[in-house]
Amino acid sequence: MNSYPSELLNQLAPVMFVAGLEDLTLQPPQTPTRTTAPQDPFAALSTRLREVLLSQRKAAIWQPEKNRTFKVLLADKDMRFPPRKVEDPQTHTMHSPLSPLTPTSPMYPDGLISPFWIRKHTTLVPAVFVIFMRIYESPVQQPRSPLDVPDADREREREVEERRRDTELASDIAQRKKHMNEYGVKLTVVLLASRRMLDDPALDARLTFIRRQSGLDPRAALFVLSPVSQAEIGDFVRSLQDALYEPAVEYYTNHSKRVRRKRNKHSQTASSYPLPMSPIGAAGTTPRPLRPEGWTVRYEYKMACFAEFRGEDEIALKHYQDAYSSLLIMFGSTAILPPRTKRWSEARVLADCINVKICKLYLYNNEHSLALAHHNSHIRRFADFCRGWGVGEETFEFWAWLARQHRILAELLEEGTKSTLKIPSHFRTPSQTAALIAAHTLDSSTSQRTLMEAETQRLLGVNPMQALQHPGFYYYMAARCTERRRERFLSALESETATATPAYATEKKVDHLAVMVELYTKAHDNFKHFRTAGNQGHDRFILWIVNKIAETYCMQRKYQVAVRFFERIARTYRHEGWTSLLLPLLLTWYQCAQQLGDMELSVRLLIEMLSHGAGYRRDDPDAMQEDLMAVLKSTVPSSTNKPLVIEPSESEPILESCIVFWKPDVNVGEAAPFQISLTAPSGVSMSALPFTTLTVEFSADIPPIVVQHSLGDNGQALSQVRKIDLGLISISASPQKDKLEARVVEGVLRWGPGHTVVLAGALLSDTPRTLSIIKVELTLQEGSWTIQFPLQLIKPRHRHPIISRWLVSSQPPRFTPITWESYSELHIHHRPHKIQVSLAHHAPAYLGEEYPIVVEVCNTDERELDMVMDVLLQPTEYDEAVNYISVDDQRSSSLIKGVSLGVIPPGASLLKTIYLCSSGVAGDRTIDISVQSRSTATPEPSSPASPSLSADISLVDKGETLQTLVVSAVEAFKLEHDVTYRRSLRPQPGPSDLRTFDADYWDDRDGGEAIVASTFVCSGPSSVAVEAIKLIREDGAYAKVVDCSVEDDTDVLAEWLPGDEFCGSCRVSLAPGDELEEDEGIPGPGAYEITWRRVLLDGERGSPSTSRFSLPPLRPPTDGLIALLDTPPIARLHEPITIRLTIRNRHPSRSANVTVHLETEATDSFVVAGLRSGRLPILLPGTEEQILWRLIPIECGYVKVPRIRVVDRRRAVEQAQGGQGPLPDSESEADAVRIVDIRWDVKDASASVKTARISMDDSTRKGEPIILVVP
Amino acid sequence: MPPQLRLNAVAFVSPQNHPILIRTFGQQRQDELKYHYIAHTSLDVIDERIAAAATSKSTECYLSLLYTMEDVAVYGYITPLKVKIIIALALSDAVVRDADVITIFRALHTAYRHSVANPFLKLNAPADGVNDHASLLLAGSAQWKGFRRRVDEIGRAVGAIPPGGI
Repeated sequence: MNSYPSELLNQLAPVMFVAGLEDLTLQPPQTPTRTTAPQDPFAALSTRLREVLLSQRKAAIWQPEKNRTFKVLLADKDMRFPPRKVEDPQTHTMHSPLSPLTPTSPMYPDGLISPFWIRKHTTLVPAVFVIFMRIYESPVQQPRSPLDVPDADREREREVEERRRDTELASDIAQRKKHMNEYGVKLTVVLLASRRMLDDPALDARLTFIRRQSGLDPRAALFVLSPVSQAEIGDFVRSLQDALYEPAVEYYTNHSKRVRRKRNKHSQTASSYPLPMSPIGAAGTTPRPLRPEGWTVRYEYKMACFAEFRGEDEIALKHYQDAYSSLLIMFGSTAILPPRTKRWSEARVLADCINVKICKLYLYNNEHSLALAHHNSHIRRFADFCRGWGVGEETFEFWAWLARQHRILAELLEEGTKSTLKIPSHFRTPSQTAALIAAHTLDSSTSQRTLMEAETQRLLGVNPMQALQHPGFYYYMAARCTERRRERFLSALESETATATPAYATEKKVDHLAVMVELYTKAHDNFKHFRTAGNQGHDRFILWIVNKIAETYCMQRKYQVAVRFFERIARTYRHEGWTSLLLPLLLTWYQCAQQLGDMELSVRLLIEMLSHGAGYRRDDPDAMQEDLMAVLKSTVPSSTNKPLVIEPSESEPILESCIVFWKPDVNVGEAAPFQISLTAPSGVSMSALPFTTLTVEFSADIPPIVVQHSLGDNGQALSQVRKIDLGLISISASPQKDKLEARVVEGVLRWGPGHTVVLAGALLSDTPRTLSIIKVELTLQEGSWTIQFPLQLIKPRHRHPIISRWLVSSQPPRFTPITWESYSELHIHHRPHKIQVSLAHHAPAYLGEEYPIVVEVCNTDERELDMVMDVLLQPTEYDEAVNYISVDDQRSSSLIKGVSLGVIPPGASLLKTIYLCSSGVAGDRTIDISVQSRSTATPEPSSPASPSLSADISLVDKGETLQTLVVSAVEAFKLEHDVTYRRSLRPQPGPSDLRTFDADYWDDRDGGEAIVASTFVCSGPSSVAVEAIKLIREDGAYAKVVDCSVEDDTDVLAEWLPGDEFCGSCRVSLAPGDELEEDEGIPGPGAYEITWRRVLLDGERGSPSTSRFSLPPLRPPTDGLIALLDTPPIARLHEPITIRLTIRNRHPSRSANVTVHLETEATDSFVVAGLRSGRLPILLPGTEEQILWRLIPIECGYVKVPRIRVVDRRRAVEQAQGGQGPLPDSESEADAVRIVDIRWDVKDASASVKTARISMDDSTRKGEPIILVVP
Repeated sequence: MPPQLRLNAVAFVSPQNHPILIRTFGQQRQDELKYHYIAHTSLDVIDERIAAAATSKSTECYLSLLYTMEDVAVYGYITPLKVKIIIALALSDAVVRDADVITIFRALHTAYRHSVANPFLKLNAPADGVNDHASLLLAGSAQWKGFRRRVDEIGRAVGAIPPGGI
């Protein structure tokens, strides 16, 4: 920005001159009578006023805000403005002293516009002139006493004095006013008065007098101010400017009008404008006067400036554009503006400055793409012009100019972004774009153009040239252009053709590199400033620019700084694997290191470049190592006693290394082969590097292996894959004695491009341990240099997936890939113990018995083993199954741990019996048997709680043999119950029988009796000796066992063979109470208990076991209305017998209306005495009625009892009473009541409540009651 | 008809920001480095854009114009599996239609997918697939020519001259 005159760039604002403030500060206190205040209030006031006025507007390029403020300059009270016009002595016309028509003007005769003109309007002539003056104040007369009358004389004297002073003031003002009027400048007077004065009633009159006398304008020309606070000063200044802004705008409008008039007049008379003709020969010496185009530029530029003064940006923009296009016309012709003249360069500066102004005005309005479009076209047009002028792209002038253009745009944007300018984002997600469009349609006030622009952008895309970016990009461009400028300059320097030009002389003074550093630094700062907060330090742009800065420092020979920069950059490039970026950086870095004489660093960098292999000087793979060897040979390290260690932590390792153990686990005394393959990068040769040794270090106390370089067959070329045999490395149990002795092997340690050296060996250990290779280190010795390369053995870098591979054969080389996981570690174990565990038992096990399982442990190993057994009974999935195991005297429901089997010598075996006792449900039982063996050769770990326990465990020679046994447990007996029920035959107590209320009354009216017949089956596969069977009674509230058949039966106590059955029965009296839920059975009132022993295969009997079988739950059926017929089974001929029919109403709620018919027939074998047909009294629920007949048999044999019919008429009666349906036709319509012969009274358990109420008896057994009549 | 786009360079960058393939078209050798830098610095802007897209829950692959620098305009694209594709177009003072750029990106993405689908890339990789992205990087290595060929074909279709002759 400094390369252009600031007048042409700065934002213009109305100018206000302020005078009279200095006088006040300089004036000594006027009234000596008053007590000397620490500071005169007026002096303080003026100081503050000056501060406020001067600070409100600074000269700056970017000032888009329109807040009606002035650019304030302090001026002398008596200053005179420069003359508006001077007389041309030749033509005797009046022209401005800056006009090209004035011979004394710097613009004479053909200048366009000069910064002086702007300066004139910004510093010499204001729009408004404000003058601060003190109004006279007569000293205060302190009344001597309150009673004093005002002294009339004194008053009069005072008035006269005031009038005199005011007149002086007014004439002073009038004189100034006159001068201002000539220039059209508004004069405003601020009268300073004390607070007391403001309250003086005479003040108004005095002010009016002064204004009239001085001829000031009636509006905004006279202010009165008294010393006030800071805030009030601000208010005053604001109101002062507000009042004066209009006149200022008017002032500049007048200027515009004047210029426009001149322009119009000029354009009309342009053709006839008197052009002083000059002799043709003197054309070169006498400059020609300004062309009409020039005048247009001049006028348009002036109008633009005046519009800018007024703050009318749109108008200013238009005039600037007009001026710019006229300028382009002028540049278009070398006749108008001959290149490389003073006027030409002035015009170029003007064009550049107008371009900046136009861009700025566009940017004020947020029209980024228009601004950039203008800037780009400016660059393009002038680049074209430059070619025509002979300052094209091959000259440093061109690049200097281009750099200046980019820089000024960057600076403009930087200024802008500091205040109001926002850099737009060119990335919008679809939703954002939609929201933007919606916002545009809502906000109709937005100009149509921006809406269109957004629409176009959404539909089509952006013109990348017109996408505004943050100033860092433009600074970067400027720096790049400066770089080119320097290149061109240097080439010009070589050719010495351009050294004569004056441009060269100035160019020579330019420190290009400093400018580049400055520009890059600015770009760097901007990139840093504009990066998003979420970007976690990955500032790749910044790195790029830092790289550029470092390169520039290199050129400046500031190597120390550059090296620091390179260090920082290289870290990211290495980390992200951008080798292509890293290599040029390393090269430059290496050059710096060479220049600095830092040999260690040079070596490090060379080695890093070497390790990156291809990509560096592709044509010559040997170049790198030659460089390195040259360095090593010609220099000495800074300290010879310490080797230089190249850590591979950050950079690529010089050799890619890969360690593979063929098997991850081996036994003690078994050789474990391993390979270490070291591969050189392809594309670069390091065959000349004199590696001397390669050290392989193992974990634990294994002595390291050193491979020493030995030149094998000298003449033969090195093959692509070579193998160095390390041999068998056996690790002795006591490693202490030869700990330091390293094994030395010889091999060729030279690598051509892409060569692989495989170190193959095998490890043999007699103690169990975990082994790995912890370090592989190459050592290089050359002269006084000793360089160590520890190779990276941890997981290979993720971006270079090294495939672990195993060299199968070296001639021809063939690898097999290692695809399993743990190939980098070797675990050595003890040999497993050889133990046989066999189990003997006779399945299935019976529930309830102690089932023996014989475990035979046999030591088939050649070692003596100490064994311990654990037995675990797995829990079953049946909840009620309670199982346990017992070994010796230990008993557990789950785990028996640590049953010692003692030390078993080789070949010996040991038997142990485990008893399994299962109960509950039949099913499989699972037992895990674990036999742990420990070799007696190794000592037991001293203390299990020692901290090194985990380390010790692998060392103890231990083994474990597992056996899992599944035993199915079955029941020894199966039991089936068959239950039948009988009605109670006892007479029923009446509904109000008090006995039934006794607590111990056994009410079996409903229940009757149940007969449980139980069948025991010996269901198991082996015989069982039954020792006892008994029924354990558990009489409950609703049921009790009356008698049982097994109790005194001794026949059953014998040996039962599989399939044998035995039956027992018992009688149970039932008294289901009201509380009993009907669908819930009565629990069986007892259980059979069988004590038995299993008969083993050899005839022995097992341990006694007991099985228990509960009686089944009982569900007695219930009756409704029932008739029970009781007949004797046998009768004698002609001897009367009695038959009894009992009709019970067991219905819980319904009464019964019962009729009984005895139907005799002629064929009957009986003579009957009793009721033939009749109705019983109504049977209430729970009552019964008995009817008796006497029968005399008259026939022998099985004879039928006469047919008895019992009918419940209740339903029929109900229907008749209801009158709903037709009356039953006959009695058959009524419900017949079932007659049960109590001799056959057997019922099944009630299947459900419903059926129990209706059907009571098995219909198949139904038959006529029959009596045997004997003679 | 908008003016033909001129493709100067194409870069594929892995989700871990490692370069997979950088291909320049019709460039002098010393300028190739510039495109490596451009690809690398673009990652900054891409990160920024991804963050912006994440906040607005956008799943747009096309990241639009990243920046312009010197004589190129740089455009970015991110595949659903976070592979970044960057192209550098020669800067010309004309509107670049997003649709055209997206077409190029889609073609490049397809080329990438076809190349990564090569089962031989994983021939020697461990079966567990922990280093899965390593095989993606392998696709761009000199050993495998298919990817380069496909990218060059696209470049040729756009009118660029691939390095190493027609």
